[in-house]
Amino acid sequence: MTKGKRLAGTIIIPVLVLIITNVICMSRGVTMFENSLNWLTFARAVANVSLVTFALSINLNSGRFDFSVGSIALLSSVFSATLAVNHELSPVVMLALSLLFGMLLGLASGLVYVTVKLPPMIVSLAVALFYEGMAYHFTKGHGVSFINNRELLDFASIPNYLIIIAVALIFMIIVFDHTTFGYEYKALQSGQKVSVNIGINEKKNTVICYAIAGLLMGAQGFVSSTTTGSIQMALNFGSIGPMFMAFLPMFIGGYIGRFSNDKLGYLLGAVSTSLISLLYVRLDVNSSVQQVVSALLLVGFLIFLNNENRIKNLFRKH
Amino acid sequence: MDNEKIIRREKIKNIIFQVAPVVGLIIMFALFMILAVIKDINIPYSMKNILNQSVIVVVVATGAIFIYTLGSFDISLGANMCVSALIGAMAYNRTNSLLAMLAFCLGTAVLISSVCSILASVFNLPVFVTTIAMLSMLNAGVLMLIGANGTGDIVQVPAAAVSAINTTWFKLLVLVAYLAISIFVFNFLKLGRQEKFVGGNPECARLTGLNNSRLAILGFIMAGIGVGLGAFLTITYAPTLSRNTASSVGMDVIISIVFGGMPVSGGSRSKIYSAVVGALSMTLLSQIMLMLNLNSGISQMVKAIIFILVVYISMSDNRKNILPR
Repeated sequence: MTKGKRLAGTIIIPVLVLIITNVICMSRGVTMFENSLNWLTFARAVANVSLVTFALSINLNSGRFDFSVGSIALLSSVFSATLAVNHELSPVVMLALSLLFGMLLGLASGLVYVTVKLPPMIVSLAVALFYEGMAYHFTKGHGVSFINNRELLDFASIPNYLIIIAVALIFMIIVFDHTTFGYEYKALQSGQKVSVNIGINEKKNTVICYAIAGLLMGAQGFVSSTTTGSIQMALNFGSIGPMFMAFLPMFIGGYIGRFSNDKLGYLLGAVSTSLISLLYVRLDVNSSVQQVVSALLLVGFLIFLNNENRIKNLFRKH
Repeated sequence: MDNEKIIRREKIKNIIFQVAPVVGLIIMFALFMILAVIKDINIPYSMKNILNQSVIVVVVATGAIFIYTLGSFDISLGANMCVSALIGAMAYNRTNSLLAMLAFCLGTAVLISSVCSILASVFNLPVFVTTIAMLSMLNAGVLMLIGANGTGDIVQVPAAAVSAINTTWFKLLVLVAYLAISIFVFNFLKLGRQEKFVGGNPECARLTGLNNSRLAILGFIMAGIGVGLGAFLTITYAPTLSRNTASSVGMDVIISIVFGGMPVSGGSRSKIYSAVVGALSMTLLSQIMLMLNLNSGISQMVKAIIFILVVYISMSDNRKNILPR
């Protein structure tokens, strides 16, 4: 594949989305990025979506469906925010704590999975229930609120979000593309049985995957909680919501991954979906329409991905 | 001789694993009765509550077995039920006919289920992702329907209209009838056997001439009937519908089915009774937590631990040297 084709394949989706969303905005007499608040909303959305997409993709690409990612974000942010509020800690320390708790919770989830050897979906259901229950019990059902803590809320700035996004991307690329762990991860992904037979320690690799996913969700929990200054409780799988925002960017990332790095693809997928989210905000689209459009985009993109050859043949005949 | 011993041991092991969920249910029931006696709780009233809470999940989960047997998974069942119930309620408000309400509940649920499976079959989409997109659309549909009805946040059927069928016997009748049909279709018709084959080995099933897409559509239609009945029973039990109606049903169904001993990968070990055993066990467990005065958080943590333990025991004959996916 030529460099030009690679570059085109990598940027075509986000560029198309950028053009289309801007054209729609302009046709309605609205400027997409009118003020700094719009940029902040966009950067925050990219940070949130890309972190969840990275986290979900780690296990999903290996055939492990994980319902518990949202509950890890919830519980890690509950722990870190409580400590930060009670001990007047800085946002950086709260972020570090969130990452630590997220990683530990992910690690625990992974250990349960490799110990009980049940299908990952079942384990993640139990883990999600457990973590939601723990967060509820820990806060006595009231959640955590720090809306008056200016220091923590001031973390919500474009440079900070950009740093988080960049660090997460570099971390993902280094860990999964340039380490022995990453090579083994890919080997297990494409040939589980053969990889185990040649001596790759699947359990260790899997537990590390869960820990990394937890770490990323810890960061997402932090970003999410410092945006609103409060953490609402969720029971009966109320925490699985964030997972759904990662599917479209993940599929877009998978497509872009053919032309360049799949992690970069996930980020560009997150950029594309965040542009669409900003469009909704700028045009004041009601939530029902947003949900329908997002669902149609997901199905439409999947139809394209799963029928690419059919579509190509259709154009070739004519 | 040694081989015979091994085979016998394996058979006994298999039986233990198969009856583990039922034993779990019996233990749960015994525990519930003991606590009810100790705490001097009105047992018939509590039993009626348990039935009211579990019957809807049992009906929907029974239908969902037809999807799970194929190794598929539908996360939009709860949202489908909410939309079907809203449309059924609106139909009643226009016609004042309970039959029309039932027909609209069933029709809407089957239509939504069919669209999901047809879309997945025609465009070669992963069923699960299609159901995620459907979930999003249906949630939007719920908001639109409630908005279109012009009553603010709810759609309501007069309680007096459904009071005649809001009885334990009626619910049991619906449940038993649907269970009987499902058991017949699943165990005595080709559909059930073919579904188990596809769930166990889709490629082999395809090579032997089975039409996997057709089976998926039929499975989703059977599930749609369960969802439609669930919607109808929801209106009879709680005739005021809101955006939160049935919001937890989708996940309750998954939990119940798995708790009842059904493998998520589907195939030959799929059983209709898993839905009944699982849903009843989960409801009993919730009641026990209530009786023990545990707060919602602790109660959910205990539920999670018991869930994983029961599933661990009922599936522990299935472990290999590689991790399941």
